[in-house]
Amino acid sequence: MAEKKGIKNSSGVDRGLFTMFLKMSPEERLLANDNAVRAILELRNGFKKQKDNKLGSERNT
Amino acid sequence: MDSKSKRTTSSDLSAILEGLIKADVKFILVGGLAAVVQGAPMTTLDVDIVHDRSAENIAKLFNFLKSINATYRRPDDKIIEPKADDFSGLKHALFTTRLGPLDVLAVIEEGKTYEDLFNHTVEIEFRGHTIHVLDLETLINLKKASNNPKHKQQLPVLEETLRQLEEG
Repeated sequence: MAEKKGIKNSSGVDRGLFTMFLKMSPEERLLANDNAVRAILELRNGFKKQKDNKLGSERNT
Repeated sequence: MDSKSKRTTSSDLSAILEGLIKADVKFILVGGLAAVVQGAPMTTLDVDIVHDRSAENIAKLFNFLKSINATYRRPDDKIIEPKADDFSGLKHALFTTRLGPLDVLAVIEEGKTYEDLFNHTVEIEFRGHTIHVLDLETLINLKKASNNPKHKQQLPVLEETLRQLEEG
């Protein structure tokens, strides 16, 4: 992945992301986290389903 | 409710907080979500709270946990429901609930209790109520003292958030 020069501090954290998040209210930040968690769980479920399907089809062959 | 449906969870961490408020539970929000509400751009999958261990508060907390079908989070499939006296000691109680994971902590790093931490909280408005959230400076100090590698990894993000907040 190409490095985003100039927007990261010495620890490698993306300062723009902080600015964006700090502009939100605490409630908006909680909702953003809830949405992120839902997306993560959905992706994990999708990954698990795909793995299970693959295992199932391997067993059937 | 059968055991399978009871263990099926969605995730609505805001609803857990709202439920605790409505149940009139005295708690301090700590951990990753405390950092998120103060502006740290990170994601956390659970709610961590330190509760007041008075008998009245434990009764309210216990009733709330029952209302959200809390069971101990375990690596096996055993379903263990909490009991009211689980919360009077100094143990951690980690739950799966129908609203998402909730960790109920009697103490955190360095043995700090609700009373020890209360003066290190900020008040945050949430859905028309006020919640007490462990301030970023204390969160950083506790994570520095922690032996948990995950806590150390979060330090640059927390420190940058504090730096930007102080800069205004």
